[in-house]
Amino acid sequence: METLQYLLYGLEVVLRPSTFLWLTIGSFLGTVIGMIPGLGPATGIALLLPLTFVLKPETALVAMAAIYFGAMFGGSRSAILLNIPGDASAVATCFDGYPMTLKGEAEAALAISAIASFVGGFIAAIAFVFLAVPLSKIALLFGPPEYFALMVLALTATASLSEGKLLKGLFATAIGLMTTAVGLDPQTSVSRFTFGNLELQGGIDFLVVIMGVYGLGEVFKSVEKTLNKSSAKSIQRQFKKIWITKEQFKRTLIPMLRATPIGFIIGLLPGTGGTIAALMSYNVEKKLSKEPEKFGKGAIEGVAAPEAANNACSIGAMIPTFTLGIPGSGTAAIMLGALMMYGLQPGPLLFEFRPEVGWGIVASLFVGNFICAVLNIPLANLLVRVLMVPEKILYPLVIALCFIGVYAAEMSVVNLYLLVFFGILGYLMRKLDIPTAPMILASVIGTKLEQSLRKSLMLSDGDFSIFFRSTISQILIALTILSLLYPMISKTLKRRRT
Amino acid sequence: MKVRLTAVLLLGLLMLSVFGATYPDKPVTLIAPGSPGGGWDTTARVVAQVLKETGLVTQTIVVTNMPGGGGGIGLAHMQTKVGDPYTIIVFSPPLLLINLTGQTKYSFKDLTPLAMVLHDYGAFAVSKKSKYTSIKEIMEALKTNPKSVKVGGISAYGSMDHIQFLIAAKAAGVTSLKDITYVSFQEGDHLAALLGGHIDVLSTGLAETVNAVQAGAARVLAVTAPQRVAGLLSMVPTLREEGIDAEFVNWRGFFGPLNMPSHAVEYWISTFKNMVETPTWENKLANYGWGRAFVAGTDFKAFLEKTNDLYKEILSELGLYKGE
Repeated sequence: METLQYLLYGLEVVLRPSTFLWLTIGSFLGTVIGMIPGLGPATGIALLLPLTFVLKPETALVAMAAIYFGAMFGGSRSAILLNIPGDASAVATCFDGYPMTLKGEAEAALAISAIASFVGGFIAAIAFVFLAVPLSKIALLFGPPEYFALMVLALTATASLSEGKLLKGLFATAIGLMTTAVGLDPQTSVSRFTFGNLELQGGIDFLVVIMGVYGLGEVFKSVEKTLNKSSAKSIQRQFKKIWITKEQFKRTLIPMLRATPIGFIIGLLPGTGGTIAALMSYNVEKKLSKEPEKFGKGAIEGVAAPEAANNACSIGAMIPTFTLGIPGSGTAAIMLGALMMYGLQPGPLLFEFRPEVGWGIVASLFVGNFICAVLNIPLANLLVRVLMVPEKILYPLVIALCFIGVYAAEMSVVNLYLLVFFGILGYLMRKLDIPTAPMILASVIGTKLEQSLRKSLMLSDGDFSIFFRSTISQILIALTILSLLYPMISKTLKRRRT
Repeated sequence: MKVRLTAVLLLGLLMLSVFGATYPDKPVTLIAPGSPGGGWDTTARVVAQVLKETGLVTQTIVVTNMPGGGGGIGLAHMQTKVGDPYTIIVFSPPLLLINLTGQTKYSFKDLTPLAMVLHDYGAFAVSKKSKYTSIKEIMEALKTNPKSVKVGGISAYGSMDHIQFLIAAKAAGVTSLKDITYVSFQEGDHLAALLGGHIDVLSTGLAETVNAVQAGAARVLAVTAPQRVAGLLSMVPTLREEGIDAEFVNWRGFFGPLNMPSHAVEYWISTFKNMVETPTWENKLANYGWGRAFVAGTDFKAFLEKTNDLYKEILSELGLYKGE
């Protein structure tokens, strides 16, 4: 088979000492960058851009791709250990990863997140090899109305997850949406809720919301507990091996396999990203689980699914980039820029005329995922010792980490005030038992939701029928209605059984 | 004796620094008022690289990203650096546009223009399956029904991608500029929207369309450059060749803060002048598909004033001009 021959050629390119060295460096850098809140893969790759002046194109691009998926591996580390997602796409990993740590299962959480990342990345890489060109067409089927339907589905599905608290879930969604209304409106260039503040014109970065609600909010809650001395967390001194049991593997295998295609397909859609992929797959697992009540309290499936999904997503996002020249994410856009610096053009021709670059990148997806998994297990052994640090020392460090992370992302002082605001909000929400997940999702996708609604209506001159025009949006709307009715249906079914 | 010598030396050094003969004697901050990977960022990093490679500037140039407010954050930051010879910033048409649309109270008059160093251009692209084969056909369709063609771009309503299309439409004789549908795609979905048939024409920067053209997925109908551009898009006609008397230049240049000391202003003007004559710079222009340009000092200022009036006219017609 021709494809396999090319793939073998790509592998040969990647295993050349210089390429392999840079692939390893990229994987390591990506992991570290992913771990540091506020620094994402886009920043990492941008910092590496000057390297393109000295390296061969295949070497530089392989290193950049490695940073991209390395960050997906690294982002989960601080999410699991400290409840701070190192990267926005690791936010769903907090939901069950941190509770696992509290239960003393940090080792298993760290292990499964690396394993799931590997599984998701590996399967997605296979799909990339065989289906890249036909799948790239999916990206084109999604116009503004389809995106709108997809975003509505994501929101309702998450809000309806908060069983018995649907109203609280919708309330949290509304707060999240409100944060995205701040800033300059792209369609009319009008400032909204900025109070004349220039720094607010860019809107509220969801990273600030996430770091506030999770990082700071968690610290506030723990400080209260420590002060009450009622349930101060004991310091962990003994550490198990970073691995999972056979039983845990059995429980997570199917969730990982389900999450991979979800992440992969969402990755194909330009401008969606790993956060949505991870949250969607988390939703699906919770809905399908026989014990949904365990989710949010340290269910290992809740770590495996989003981690597999965000890695699959990062690989899916490369498909429109390399086959159509459409960058699927900010990170992919910077990689396109690097291609152009070499005078190379993406598209199917890249794979024909410069196979060492095209197939080198594809092969690096396999080898790089493997390297990342191998790097991350011993690294986790080291990182897990952070739990030995007493709270009195750990929490001030966490606060510092939140502030540095938020500042590093945009260098804006206003964001620091916002961070404190969202920290207090996160604390209050926990106190009042309001779910935080719907708010986070809303703050991540709110802009896209609003913009796709308005883009659709602008394109149709105000005609609402545009939302029911295509099969894709019809299916998505049907799923939305189903997800809203689901709590009622399942209740009736349960009643009948008893 | 030794003490005296040291004193003389010190005095000499002091005088040198007063008269700025050793300027720059510490690292210079070059602000890119956008995120990494964008046009400003690329320009800043390429220029910093060329200045270093050619040895024109031996001091370190630190490129700092200051995104937000469509460049407004960077512009506001420059107001805190009045008189500072060690901070410069890169800008392009949005410097004028964000002031005219009322996004910021600061304008190009709150900076010291140093030099414009390159020209970038806009392009109008359609999907390969589109029924339109020339920009003229699109303009004719708009004349009969301004709602019949859906225009998309990356930048916000009233900013570059939108304005360049309207400048062309106005020159082509389309009258109801305000009725033309323009949708801004800012999440990297602009090309997908074009290729998927969700919009009819994409009005954006030249560089943004090259990839899709190379992949065979899109066609570029016209470029906004005064002459044909080099490289892949050399077969694409200019607006003038298509009978539309208009052009749109995405000029990029460097600015110092207000009241920048004159020795620093002169230093940068002569440095940029030397830079644009190096073969290294020529290479970069070719790589990025940029056009050669050099306008400095008072000429640059006059250019800005003229351009500002042109933009003001178009924005007034759209009802977006927020000045007095």
